[in-house]
Amino acid sequence: MTYIATFYSHFGAIRFRKLCQEKGIPAEIMPVPRDLSSSCGSCVRYESTLPCPAPQYPEEVEQVVSVTSQGYQSLYRAENG
Amino acid sequence: MPKTHEKTGIVLAGIAIGVIASLLVFFGNPVNMGFCIACFLRDISGALGLHTAPAVQYIRPEILGLVLGSFLLSVFRKEFMPRGGSSPLTRFVLGFFVMIGCLMFLGCPFRMILRLAGGDLNAVFGLLGFVCGILAGVFFLNKGYSLKRTYKLPTLEGAAFSAIQVALLVLLVAAPAFIYFSEAGAGPGALHAPILISLAAGLIVGALAQRTRLCMVGGIRDLVLFGEWKLLAGFIAILASALVCNLVLTGTGAGTFFTLGMEGQPVAHTDGLWNFLGMLLAGFGCVLLGGCPLRQLVLSGEGNTDSAITVLGLGIGAAFAHNFGLASSGTGPTANGKVAVVIGIVVVAVIAVANTVRTEKA
Repeated sequence: MTYIATFYSHFGAIRFRKLCQEKGIPAEIMPVPRDLSSSCGSCVRYESTLPCPAPQYPEEVEQVVSVTSQGYQSLYRAENG
Repeated sequence: MPKTHEKTGIVLAGIAIGVIASLLVFFGNPVNMGFCIACFLRDISGALGLHTAPAVQYIRPEILGLVLGSFLLSVFRKEFMPRGGSSPLTRFVLGFFVMIGCLMFLGCPFRMILRLAGGDLNAVFGLLGFVCGILAGVFFLNKGYSLKRTYKLPTLEGAAFSAIQVALLVLLVAAPAFIYFSEAGAGPGALHAPILISLAAGLIVGALAQRTRLCMVGGIRDLVLFGEWKLLAGFIAILASALVCNLVLTGTGAGTFFTLGMEGQPVAHTDGLWNFLGMLLAGFGCVLLGGCPLRQLVLSGEGNTDSAITVLGLGIGAAFAHNFGLASSGTGPTANGKVAVVIGIVVVAVIAVANTVRTEKA
C-alpha cells in the first residue's frame, strides 16, 4: 500500500524518511500533492504493509493518508491539526 | 489532479497572471508595477497614515482582491482552514525585514519578474540575490529549521483578515478625509488603474494563485529541495507572458511598456550591490516564512492567521521604511537603508539559527 504523510516542517519530513529507511521501507520526500492539500510543504510518500513505520507517529506528522484508486483515505490527523 | 495537468494548470495560470499584470499598467498602474505586493502594501500603509511619504499613498484594490479571491475560492472548494499559532511574532519580524529588503530593491519578488519582463536589467542583480537568499534559507531547512506547529482556530479568527480587506475597500470607495491618497503627479501612488479593474485583477489572480499554490520563492526552493519544476514553471510563465504582452502593447503604440537597459528604469535604481543584497534579504526571509509576499496574502485568505500576521509585519515594515528613510528611490539606496538591510540579514540569520534543531540529527 502507498501512503503519504504530511508534516509541520520540512525537517520533520527528512526525519520521517530516515525512520522509514531504517525500517527498510522505500520512501521519498516530495512537495505535497495539490489535490491532497492547498498547503505547499514537504511530504513523504512511502510503500509499506503497515501505515505507521513506528509504534506511533512522530509528533511532526500532521496527517497520513493511504493512496487508493478512489483517492486519498485519511488515516491519521494530529490533534488540533 | 494528475501531475502533468497540475503543471499545465500552473503554466496557464502564470500566462494569465502575466497578461493581467501587463494590462494593469496599460490601465494606469506605474510602469513594471502591474502587481507589486511590497509596493502596494507600502501604499496602503501610507493611505492609512502610518507613513507620510506623499508619493506612495493609496489603498490598492489589487491587495484586497488577492486576499478575497483566495478567500472566496477556498470557501467554495472547502479548503478554507482557519489556523495559526506558529511563532507569530517571529513571523511578524521576518515579514518586517522582508519588506525592508524589498524596498531596498524597490519591489517584491513578483515585481522583480515584472521588472525583468519590462526590460529592467537591474532586476537581474535582484534575481541573483534572491536565489542566494533562497539557497541560504534552504540550507537551514535541511539543517532542521522550523517554526512551531500550527493549530486549528475558530472560523471567525480565520475570516477576520478577509473582513479587514472589506473594511479597507469601504474606506477606498468612501474616501473619508483621514485617508491619504497621493495627489496627481506626486509619484507612483497617484498612478493606478480604475478601482473595479484593479479589484477584478486581484480577485482573479488571488483565485488562480490559491488554486495553483503559485509562489515566487517556492519555485526555486522546490527545484533545489526536490528537483521539482512545477512552481518554477509558473514563475517563468509569468515572465514570458508579461514580456510578450509588454512588447505587443509597445508595438501598438499604446505607450512604452518595454525598455531594455539599466539607466532610467521606472521606480528602480542602478546600484547592483544593494539590489542584490535587498533581494537576498527578501529571499532568505521568505524561505523561513514558507512563501513569498503574494503567497502570504493568498494563505491569509485561506484562513492562515500566521500569514496574516506576516502581512501585518510587511505593512509595518513599509511604514518604518518611509518614516526612517530606509526605502530606496530612483536616485538610489539611502545610507539608513543600507544599515537596515545589513541589520535585517543578521536578524534573519539569527532567527534561522535559533529555530534550527541542533541536538537531534536527521
